[in-house]
Amino acid sequence: TLTSTLTSTTRRQHALQRTAPEETVTSSFGRFIQGVQPSHLSPKVIQRSKRMVTTEVFDLALQHCQHMYAPDDISFVYGRNGTKLSPTLAAFVNGVAVHSMDFDDTWHPATHPSGAVLPALLAISDMLPKNSKPRGVDLLLAFNVGIEIQGRLLRFSNEARNIPKRFHPPTVVGTMGSAAACARLLSLDPTQCSNALAIAASLSGAPMANAATQSKPLHIGNASRLGLEAALLASRGLEASPLILDAVPGVAGFSAFYEDYAPQPLPSPEEVEMHSFLLEEQDMAFKRFPAHLGMHWVADAAATVHKALMDLPIRSISPNMVQDILLRVPHSKYINRPYPESEHQARHSFQFNACTALLDGEVTVQSFQNEAVLRPELYELLSRVRVEHPQDNPANFNRMYAEVEVTLVSGDVFRGRCDTFYGHWRNPLSEESLKKKFRNNAGAVLTPDRVDALVQAVDELEYLDDCTPLLTPLQ
Amino acid sequence: MRNPNSSVTESFGAAVSSLNAAHLTDGVIRRSKRMMLDTLGVGLLGTSSPVFNVVLQHGKMYQSKENSSVWGRPGTFLPPYYAAFVNGVAVHSMDFDDTWHPATHPSGAVLPALLALAETLHSKPSGLELLLAFNVGLEVQGRLLRFSKQAHNIPKRFHPPAVVGVMGSAAATAKLLGLSPTQSMAAMAIACSSAGAPMANAATQTKPLHLGNAARRGLEASQLALLGLEGNKQILDLESGFGVFYQDYIPQHLAEVTPNGHYRWVLEDQDIAFKRFPAHLGMHWVADAAVNVRTQILTEDPNADLRQIKRITLRVPSSRYIDRPIPDTEHQARHSFQFNCCSALLDGEVTVDSFSSKMMNRKSLRELLHKVHLENPEDNPASFEKMYCEIMVEMARGETHTARCNTFYGHWRKPLSQEHLVRKFKTNASTVLTSGAADGIVQIIENLEKIPDCSVLGSYMQFHKHVTQREQSYYSASV
Repeated sequence: TLTSTLTSTTRRQHALQRTAPEETVTSSFGRFIQGVQPSHLSPKVIQRSKRMVTTEVFDLALQHCQHMYAPDDISFVYGRNGTKLSPTLAAFVNGVAVHSMDFDDTWHPATHPSGAVLPALLAISDMLPKNSKPRGVDLLLAFNVGIEIQGRLLRFSNEARNIPKRFHPPTVVGTMGSAAACARLLSLDPTQCSNALAIAASLSGAPMANAATQSKPLHIGNASRLGLEAALLASRGLEASPLILDAVPGVAGFSAFYEDYAPQPLPSPEEVEMHSFLLEEQDMAFKRFPAHLGMHWVADAAATVHKALMDLPIRSISPNMVQDILLRVPHSKYINRPYPESEHQARHSFQFNACTALLDGEVTVQSFQNEAVLRPELYELLSRVRVEHPQDNPANFNRMYAEVEVTLVSGDVFRGRCDTFYGHWRNPLSEESLKKKFRNNAGAVLTPDRVDALVQAVDELEYLDDCTPLLTPLQ
Repeated sequence: MRNPNSSVTESFGAAVSSLNAAHLTDGVIRRSKRMMLDTLGVGLLGTSSPVFNVVLQHGKMYQSKENSSVWGRPGTFLPPYYAAFVNGVAVHSMDFDDTWHPATHPSGAVLPALLALAETLHSKPSGLELLLAFNVGLEVQGRLLRFSKQAHNIPKRFHPPAVVGVMGSAAATAKLLGLSPTQSMAAMAIACSSAGAPMANAATQTKPLHLGNAARRGLEASQLALLGLEGNKQILDLESGFGVFYQDYIPQHLAEVTPNGHYRWVLEDQDIAFKRFPAHLGMHWVADAAVNVRTQILTEDPNADLRQIKRITLRVPSSRYIDRPIPDTEHQARHSFQFNCCSALLDGEVTVDSFSSKMMNRKSLRELLHKVHLENPEDNPASFEKMYCEIMVEMARGETHTARCNTFYGHWRKPLSQEHLVRKFKTNASTVLTSGAADGIVQIIENLEKIPDCSVLGSYMQFHKHVTQREQSYYSASV
């Protein structure tokens, strides 16, 4: 039962009293996770986080649950035979679904925060008995704790501000965020919360080389499930390093994942009148099509050129017209792919997304299907692409831009530039656009009444006495 | 002729897939069987630890159709992923398992995964197949460790079993599953996304999970690869791949494997260290030197009162996580130069019992701890291949005694005799198993190449001395 899960086993290995805990960065995080209250959530944070909840597990997990269980596709399910998946495996599967098409939200400093957190929270909610489901506001708070912790950790390193090169950020901070969120929803005490973070640190970190491969979605799935596991283990009394977030010379903790690491303690919620959640100051980017965030700049820039070309008398674009395509983008090896060979690679290719948008005027979910990827006219365009990395174009989602310059055979040159794509935090998706994205995605696998029920449940989330209205349409 | 364009990753995939029993040399067989025996013994002892209990309770949440034995718990079975996890935790729960050079604990990441997997396969693997897969798991770890100079020193950043251990587990289980070269590569690529845990959790209760996690996540990687999941095909070649765990990373191709040719295993050239007591390897130098000093003191004066020691100077390599003047927990004590020095001085040896709370809290020990001063001489590098320990004890009346240990008994330069290794196993195993079962396991390992079904080991590992067959149902996993 949950009660026995929550009772921490007392360890009396030794009679020695521990010295009173000094204030460390690690313990400040533990106290925050346990101490923060729904009253600390500002309206803006509530609104922004609900938007994140909408586009996450609901649309993608549902769409992909079918995909995952189809006979000729990969199924990561263990122990089925009619039984429900264990919570961590449910978190895993759903987390994989969320990131399977690289369609999920992106923050600054760069990570995909929601996919690591929401699946785990939903899994816990499913796990709880019918009359003990969390209130909507509890779920929302735990979600925000998970996001906040990720944001705070990302600010401990300057390295984190740029497009990553070594460790894939969701596997570094995502696991920690999941652990924090789950610890919160499970009502662990401050020490258990700190331990959850420390246990999670030993489950963090995956190399960038697996981005743009089929394994990338597992990064989010694993972050979600392993963070949940860490919280469950902590609830049983497992202990780990009390200094995991602190900088200890000679022994790396969370600092192992960064070259430069300068941690700061979190202010205690009691000390500060209104804890300022990072989501208040730094909004989220939502993608309009399922590809790496960087692709959205080139797509918007290329779409401008497409529109200009369509205004010409010919009103069509054929590769024969095009002599040269120049892309001016930031330098980032894993999204610079001249000839992508798989859908995963295509989602991580400046060249592919630029040419698709040039041809079609937009990039959509369908753009990554085989027929579209293998189009001969696309290949023709790809062979005309050159890439430049201007000095003033940093590999940083807050400051980068994309320029697409198309030179026609006739000698005419058409240029498009995008500084801020629609959906970026500086130019957020409207409520209408966001809901439309949700309905398109969720509608692929759910009946219309369930889709409506979910939209309504999220809309009213903070007022729900019981989050069952959110869970039921998903089952 | 190897294709010059093939990547390092491909060479690993090919090796994992192509190595066969004929490639196992006598030396490698002998050494790896010693490792298996030792691992099973420390694992059994570890099933009595609190951390094992925590993870077992956790594992019981899960069910599946196919299940594998939990060591030391008759009638308790878990899905292979979780059996590998809890048994791996048991192996490292007391830091009693084997240590290699460059530093890692290779067996605990591999054997639990292999045995858990073996039990669920429809066609049970033979002892020889187990032996081969085990060695593949070791070999991959040994090769990967040699891709970085940084790996040759006592680690500061990532705990090595969490880095190479999961890769070894993936390789070993891929071997047992008979994966193709491409699938074996994929298994390692997938496993790479599960690698790495920070050193800060060493000397805590979470450290054993590093081995448990390596075992289970490597197994999972192989299972996912079998289902067709792919990762980066150049995972071992790229700085942004496996290279992320090191500052200096220079991967090398594995030698080509020909069906009837010779293969040079790392284990052939580099033997392994077995611990005589459950503590970090560095403690073994300290204990041997301390016992030596104690003998000197008592030889001079058989009635010497060790509480009359005025000052102890320990000359050891500089390594923050094993420098703990006053450890609070058993985990910290296993990672404390000072604690092991004082235990050995007082008792003439360090044993399993030295880390019990009763022994840890002795007044005489606590007092002695306050007299220890650590020095880190320049010529004492933080490397298990090159370090030494020197102890100088100053008595109340002013006389001093000094002893130095360059190579402790059990180190690869001075290996445990077979008799002592078996004795260690039996002492450990008999805390949990019947003596018949313990003897049985010794026999099985000794004759492993001829055993037709290696999964019998799992059954033996459950022959609890206090629980008869009839009572087994009380211990069944319940969700």
